[in-house]
Parts: sequence; C-alpha cells; structure tokens
Amino acid sequence: MTIRAAIDWALGLFRRFLQVRAVFTTVVLSGIALLVVGGFLSYSIGNGLYQTRVSQILAESERGVVEVQNTFAASTVTDEIALQSLLNSVVPSLESQGSSDSRKVALLRTPGQVGAQILQSPISADLDTAVIPIDLKSQVRNATGKLTYQSIGLPQVNGSIHPAVVVGSPIEIPLAGKYELYLVFDLNGEQQTLDFVQSVLFWGMLILLFMIGAVSYFVTNWLVKPVQVAAEVSEDIAEGALDRRLTERGEDVIAILARSFNRMADSLQKQITKLASVSKMQQRFVSDVSHELRTPLTTIKLAGDVIFASREKLEPAAKRSAELMHDQIERFEVLLNDLLEISRYDAGAVAADLEIQDMNGIVGSAIAGLEPLAQSRGSVIEIKIPSGPVDVEVDGRRIERLIRNLLANAIEHGESRPISVAVGISDSAVAVSVTDAGVGMSRAEVDRVFDRFWRADPARKRTTGGTGLGLAISLEDTQLHGGWLQVWAKPNEGASFRLTLPRRQGMIFTQSPLPLPPKQPKRKEVAGEQSN
Amino acid sequence: MAHKILVVDDDNALREMVGIVLESEGFEVCFHDAGSGALDAFKAQEPDLVLLDVMLPGKDGIEVCSEIRATAGTPIIMLTAKTESEDVVRGLEAGADDYVVKPFDPTVLLARIRARLRPLSKADGETVQIGPLTLDIVGHEVRRGAEKLLLTPLEFNLLLTLAVKPKQVFTREMLLETVWGYHYKADTRLVNVHVQRLRSKIEDDPDNPKIVTTVRGIGYKAGQG
Repeated sequence: MTIRAAIDWALGLFRRFLQVRAVFTTVVLSGIALLVVGGFLSYSIGNGLYQTRVSQILAESERGVVEVQNTFAASTVTDEIALQSLLNSVVPSLESQGSSDSRKVALLRTPGQVGAQILQSPISADLDTAVIPIDLKSQVRNATGKLTYQSIGLPQVNGSIHPAVVVGSPIEIPLAGKYELYLVFDLNGEQQTLDFVQSVLFWGMLILLFMIGAVSYFVTNWLVKPVQVAAEVSEDIAEGALDRRLTERGEDVIAILARSFNRMADSLQKQITKLASVSKMQQRFVSDVSHELRTPLTTIKLAGDVIFASREKLEPAAKRSAELMHDQIERFEVLLNDLLEISRYDAGAVAADLEIQDMNGIVGSAIAGLEPLAQSRGSVIEIKIPSGPVDVEVDGRRIERLIRNLLANAIEHGESRPISVAVGISDSAVAVSVTDAGVGMSRAEVDRVFDRFWRADPARKRTTGGTGLGLAISLEDTQLHGGWLQVWAKPNEGASFRLTLPRRQGMIFTQSPLPLPPKQPKRKEVAGEQSN
Repeated sequence: MAHKILVVDDDNALREMVGIVLESEGFEVCFHDAGSGALDAFKAQEPDLVLLDVMLPGKDGIEVCSEIRATAGTPIIMLTAKTESEDVVRGLEAGADDYVVKPFDPTVLLARIRARLRPLSKADGETVQIGPLTLDIVGHEVRRGAEKLLLTPLEFNLLLTLAVKPKQVFTREMLLETVWGYHYKADTRLVNVHVQRLRSKIEDDPDNPKIVTTVRGIGYKAGQG
C-alpha cells in the first residue's frame, strides 16, 4: 500500500511538473549514453591489457622454450642421474615468484611413448597440473615446435580464482624422449589494473551522471521559472486581479513571452473595464427606465380604472374604448415588467432569493392561479405529484412564475385537451413537467422556442396575451438556479416542457427524475424528429 | 370620521390621480410634492396615514420615512418603482409599514390603506403579559415595569398577535395575514424586517432575543422554549 502510494506520488509529481520530467529524461538518457561509453572503454582497456600481456608472455615463453631446448641439445650427459639433475634445473630457471606476476613451470612427459618413464617430471612446487586443460595438451602434442596457449582460471589457496594463461610447447629430450613444457602465467596483476580502471570509470560516471542531473535541474529551473511565474500571474488575472503583470527583462524568448502576455493582459483589462462600465450603465438605464415609465403608467392605470369603473355611464363607443384601454394597460404593464426583468438578466443584476420550499406547493399555487383561465378554455389540468413534500432550494417567486408561464403556454396551445403536470424527485434533482396534447411544434420551431418575442405562428390568434418574453425569462430563471429547461414537441401531438432543478444549490445531477418526452405509447418520437 | 391621508409624490399627475381615487373612497387627502419639507407637512397636517414615494427630489423617501418615524408611529406605505431587494428592505428598515409597487391597482392601494387603518385585533381582557412586558390593549401601550416603550401601531399589533397565543408558532404567512391583512402571498421580508425592528425596541439583547423568538424554518413565537 505504501509502495503504491509512493509510486502514485512520484507519478503525480511527474505528471504535474515539467521540470521533474525534463530532469528525469535527461538523467535517464545520459545514463544510457554513459553506460554505453563506459562499457566500451572498459572492454577496450581490458582487451588491450590482455593482448599486450599475452604477446609479452608468448615472447618470454619462446625465449624460455628455445633456451630449454638448447640446453638439452647442447648437453652431453649420458647417465640418468645427470639427466635428472639437468631436468630439475629447468624449472627454477624459468620459474618466477610474485604475488601477482608469478610464473610456474611444468615439464611433463608425453604419454604413450615406448619404454617406461625413468625420469621424474619437474613441476613448480605449488602448481597443480590439473589446471592444464586436456585439449591444450592434445594441441601441444600435435603441434610441432610452435607455442600453444589458452586462458584458464587459476585457483588460489584462499579460494579465489586468478585469470591466467597456460603456454605449452613440445620439447625433445635426448635419451628421455618427448616432453611437454608448460608455463603458467598468472594475470592477476592485469586483472587488478582492470578492476581499478573499471571502478574509477564507474565512480567517475556516477559523479558525472549526478552532475548532469544537477545541471539539467538548474538549467530547466532557469527556463521553467518564468513560465511558472507567468502561470501564477495568469491565475491571479483569472481570479480578478486584472492589474497583475510580468516583469519584462532582456531580449530573449522569455522577454517576448512577458511582453506579449502583458499586452494581452492590457487589452483584456481594457475590454473588461469597458464591458463593466457598459453593464453598469445598462443597469443604471434599466433602473431609470423603470422609474420613469412606472410613474406615468401608474397614473394611466389609476385613471383607466376610474373610467372603467364608471363605464356603464358612458356612451357605447366610449364604454368599449374604456374596456379596451383597461385591457391594454394591463398588457402594457405585463410587457414592461417582462422587459425590465430580461434587461436585469442582461445586466447580470439578478440574484436568486433562495429558500428551501415544497415544490408541490409551488406547483399547486401556480395551478391555482391559472385554473380560471384553464376552465374558460375548457382544458382540464391533471396533476401527478409525489406524496409528501418535495423539498427543494429555489427562489419560489421565480419558479412559480416559470411554472405559471409554462401552464399558460400549455393552455394557449393545448386545443382544450387535457394538460398534465408532473413533479418528480431524485436524490439530487427535482423536476416539473407540463405537457399538453395540442398543436405542438416542428423541429425548427422547437429550436426557436426560447428566443425573445418569437411566436410559433404569427397568424395565430392570441388570446392569453403573452408578451413573447415568457420562455426567454423562464430559461434565464432556470439558468439562475443551475437547472435545465427542456422541450419536446411534435406537430399536432403536443408539447412538453420539463424543468429540472438541483435539490440544493450546487448539487450536480446528470439525469432528470422525469422522462422527456412523457411516457405515453403513442408518443415515441424525439423532439422535432418530424417536421413540416 | 374620514381618515386623513398625506400623499408625498413629486409627479403631479400621479399625485392628483391618487387623490381622486382616495377621495372617491371617502378619504380626506392632503399633498406634498418633495422630500424636503415633507416632515413639516406631516406635522402640520397630522395625517392618519402617509403614502410616500421612494424617489423624491431633495430628500429621498427613505430619509423622509426615518424622520417621520422618529416623531410618530403613523402608518407609512411606500410607493416604489423598484422591486429590487435593497430598495424595499431599506424602506422597511427605515420604518415603513408596508409597500406598494408601481404600477399598482387602485384596489390594491385601497386594500393596503384600509389594512393599516383597521382597528387593532381584539383580545380578551385589557392587558396581556408577555415576559417582562405588559401590553395595554385599550391604551395601545407597552410597559416594561414602569417604563413605557414606544411602538408603532404595526409593531404593537405584531407583538400582541404573538403574545395572545404564547404557545403557538406563527409562520410568516400567518403573520402577513393577521397583522398586514394580506390574504394572498406577500413579501415575507415585511415580517423579517419588522420583527427585527420590534426586537430592537423590546429585547435587552436584540441579537439574542428572549421575548420574540425565531423557530427555525417555520416562523416566530412569543417566549422561549
């Protein structure tokens, strides 16, 4: 678990920091390069040492063999004892002792000759003839006057094995027959030199690798630092500190980055400041318009009401005029309110007044408000709500207005057929759907349904006096709550609007608790699949 | 006896129109057209109720409201063109009892005026005791021991409503109906702001109320526990 955590931590570091990645890559690649170079050096040095030593050995052996051969050839001994003593003198003359440069000698009689061995073979005191490989012996026997050699491992008293070279040569001894002279050279000295060189190489390269790592750290740090600073400053600017800038120093690419960055920040700051002042002016304008229009409208409204109240005393034409004026003043008022509301949204001056409320209650009062209209149009409103309260954090006034608006649209376009209202709930979301079975909409109409002042059919008679801003405001209200407002529609089959809101502000939801289109066997097509 | 209403508004047409509507309903109406001098007009006329526009030249309605409140508990209804939270809350905090948003229906305006001029709700007996306070229903007075507390009629009515049924928790909607006379949904901020104002007058520590306590998520009640 802890190892895994460590690996995760390292991987995280790797992913997050460019510098870690750069240093790591540099060290790994340099390491591979050093390994190759080191291997090559080590091999070349070892090989060179060995070759030099071998040619030296061969030259020495040559001399030795010739010397021995000459000794025997020149001797005039005839008796065994003298021969034996001559033989015995060979070994000490060739042998040499040393801790790392010893040379040992063996003079062996070639087996398989006629006549019994009468002389004792002289062998260096601490040489075990078993180290002489058998295939070397057979090569020596077959060779004529030539040196043959082979590398072997020479076991030592302390158990270690020294590298060594055995050189063999046949020797003809008068009276005694064929002999083989073997010289065993210990190469421990060369091995030690090689070991030393290798260890120096190893440590040298390790230090070099470490230094490469350190250098690449400093270099990347030097390069990455300005980028890091730029990232921090960008973050600050994104957080709203619009006047943060990078320091511009020098003429290099980093300085160019800093200059371009600062220019971008300048232009952004200018734009944002300009937009902010435009937005402030807009809000100011909205506020002024609201006061300036509302006061005369209030007077008109009061006057209209007084005239309307006494319409029975007027002549027929004046009476009808009073009625028309009364209705139109109301319409004007609704339109003004909607306009002001949408301008407030445009100016970003809207804040939700959130409170935990019962969605069933909100839906209930929205329906209650529109029941008279539904009755006058002959539409029945069917309600399907969960039992028990549906708690949801919303701006109740806005959401009730939204649902009222959806209901008014359903009544308007519902062709007096039943309208169904459903409430659904899940752990993270609450949904309300309003479905009518009226004229419906084509796909092209669905696409434009939330546009301002858009009407499905301009030729269609309007009876409920909507302003054309209702759905645009509804959509803004929904977005204010972080919710969805979706529509399904099909020509001549009806339309369904589904509002989905998070149960609490900030809750994430991926699915609405209610289906869209509503589950009904005869309506399977997706929104606007069929258009006409 | 006809109630006298002072209308303070800078718009001549609206002022006259409101006057026509109120007079046709039997009220006696007097006018003032600016923020400055409104307090003098109020003192000179001694109206039973003030209709006060928020946006006035010279001195804004909220200031005028504070000035009137400093001298009298006369009901004040603000006329506001702005529905944004701040304006309404500022007006209420300055002591306005209620507000009407322009453009308003004459019926709405009249209903609000009548609700404010309506005699206080009746209670059994002549005094009601709540905590350290004694409410004299007939004299419209509240005393803490010998000390007399100055409450506006609305605040008195609010306290009395709570005090008469000390065990009951009142939702904001219930209070809007009994104290303000709203029969349909209204702005619950009316209740919140006036409970705050009431507490600042009757509680020892308004931040830690003992007489009018909040029942979280429901509303208010009189007394603790």
